[in-house]
Amino acid sequence: MINVVYSTEHWIVPRIVMGVLVVLLLAIIITEGRARVKAGGSFFEKPGKFFIDGYDKKKFWGTLILFVGYIFTIDKVGFTVTSMVFVLLFNLLYTGLGKKQVVVSVIIAIVAPLLISILFGVVFNITLPKGMCSITFVDYGFTIY
Amino acid sequence: MITITKLLVGIMGVVVGIVFGAIPGMTATMAVAVFLPLTYAYDLETALWLLLALYVGGISGGLIPAILINIPGTPSSITTTFDGYPMAKRGEGERALKVGIVSSFVGGIISLIALWLFTPILSSAALKFSSVEKFLIILFALTVIAALSKGQMLRGIFAGFLGVLVTLANSFSVNNQYRMVPAFLKSKMSDGFQLLPCLIGLFAIAQIFEEAEEGMNFKVEKTDSELDGDVKFSLKDFKGQGINLVRSSLIGTFMGVLPGVGGSAASILAYAQAKNFSKHPELLGTGVPEGLIASESSNNGLTGGALIPLLSLGIPGDSTTAVLISAFMLQGIQVGPLFITQNQHTWNTILVALLASNIIMFLVMFFPIKLISKIIYIPRARLYPVIIMICIVGAYATKNGRIFDVWALLIFGIIGYIFGKIKIPASCFLIGFILGDDLENYFIQSISAANGSLLVFFSRPIGWVIWVLIIASIAYAIWDDRKDKKKKAAAN
Repeated sequence: MINVVYSTEHWIVPRIVMGVLVVLLLAIIITEGRARVKAGGSFFEKPGKFFIDGYDKKKFWGTLILFVGYIFTIDKVGFTVTSMVFVLLFNLLYTGLGKKQVVVSVIIAIVAPLLISILFGVVFNITLPKGMCSITFVDYGFTIY
Repeated sequence: MITITKLLVGIMGVVVGIVFGAIPGMTATMAVAVFLPLTYAYDLETALWLLLALYVGGISGGLIPAILINIPGTPSSITTTFDGYPMAKRGEGERALKVGIVSSFVGGIISLIALWLFTPILSSAALKFSSVEKFLIILFALTVIAALSKGQMLRGIFAGFLGVLVTLANSFSVNNQYRMVPAFLKSKMSDGFQLLPCLIGLFAIAQIFEEAEEGMNFKVEKTDSELDGDVKFSLKDFKGQGINLVRSSLIGTFMGVLPGVGGSAASILAYAQAKNFSKHPELLGTGVPEGLIASESSNNGLTGGALIPLLSLGIPGDSTTAVLISAFMLQGIQVGPLFITQNQHTWNTILVALLASNIIMFLVMFFPIKLISKIIYIPRARLYPVIIMICIVGAYATKNGRIFDVWALLIFGIIGYIFGKIKIPASCFLIGFILGDDLENYFIQSISAANGSLLVFFSRPIGWVIWVLIIASIAYAIWDDRKDKKKKAAAN
């Protein structure tokens, strides 16, 4: 029996699900622990390294930091300009600072955001993040975000 | 009505899908997720054309790198490498690609026929479902995913229920009370996390983090495979393969129907069966069309199959069709038992668009295959920055412009990345996330109507049938797991 009371019924299912999750977690720990014991190891496994050996610190943390920066500035500066800056930074991060690489990165960083901005924002009229660098052309009725 | 716009959208979708499918590490799911925001601008029919084209293209593109560089472009073309790459190495690259393309086409068409025949039947059966059966069907969806996540049953079920829990962080529709939402987010989360940021995060952003960790220096060098050899493609390659084609396509379709089962499971099963029934099982794996046919017809068989439970029960058959659900939601259409009778027109559109996508896929891939196969040389490091940008656009536009959804995108990206590390299947999580709200509503409706008695879930014969299925799926998983372990022990 479960009493369905109006004021508390929003907690019924989440509580059951949490209970199920705890049971499943215990089951996972026990079955996998027992399998390790059977294989001659110990019940609890030493936690392995989280990152792969010799992981690319610069690219991994760089991606995370650029991502946060991108989201943080995008609705303050506006979609097109922010995207140009960050698409350039991501490109440089991933492909390096060789002369040819930089030229290709700059081209992608100018063309891609403009294309997306016009395609989504102007042609398809989808709301993009707006900021201080967004320009609305009142006479023509469209915005470059 | 087929219009020029729809045809153009279809061609664009197939080509973009093929590009995503052909670049290893990028998947059909990613293609559909990234381009979903474009559909905000279209009416439902055009949107469906685009999405189905992306889907078919994405699944099909995977065969190109599988054959030419021995790396499956999508997980579902793993078995394509077994026979495709040896053929390419012998200088039969073009022949292998064309055998693959024709098999993909046949697989797509057979699954389309299955979709057309079985969806209405399943829908009309599901019309008799009360909230009790609907609840049980969702529970079954959650257990069956897990049963098929090979040796990972517990983790699969765990991921599914975790998805349910995360999706319930919102305000409950009956009494408008919040649960599991911190006070400062209450204004943003009355309907919880949105599906789109969750999905793009799990399937696109997580992948980018993973590759950033690996240094993003994956590069396709000139390969030792050769496109023009002496042995050319001819329809004779399919002589005596009719049964193999149909069987593999149907295996793909059937595996597609089961929720959460990816294409890799389908093609592995089809390949194993082809080997079992083959007159020359020893030749499979050395580069014969037979294996290629089994693999490629089954993974395209998935496309129609995965749409069957989506359209008749409202349960997505795989992570790509899960994206299609959100496309329907965006257009205000509820998929489920009433879908076909209430939306006859949309149903016809789906069938026509799927047929057209398969034909376009065939035309775009078969004739200019030498040109198309150059896709594998596009460096991912150049594509990812642009994909990040498009993902942000998509997340931002989900609820008409909220930066909160973009933060959610990043958070789900990180969660997806961590899932990969601790071996929690993201596709199971996603299915739970999508079905969580319905699971709760049907549960509360069922027990409210029965004055709180849990016995209501055992009260009707249709319910018993579903219970049997649930128990059978778990029992199968345990049996399958034991069998695998015994095999391993014997091999040692």
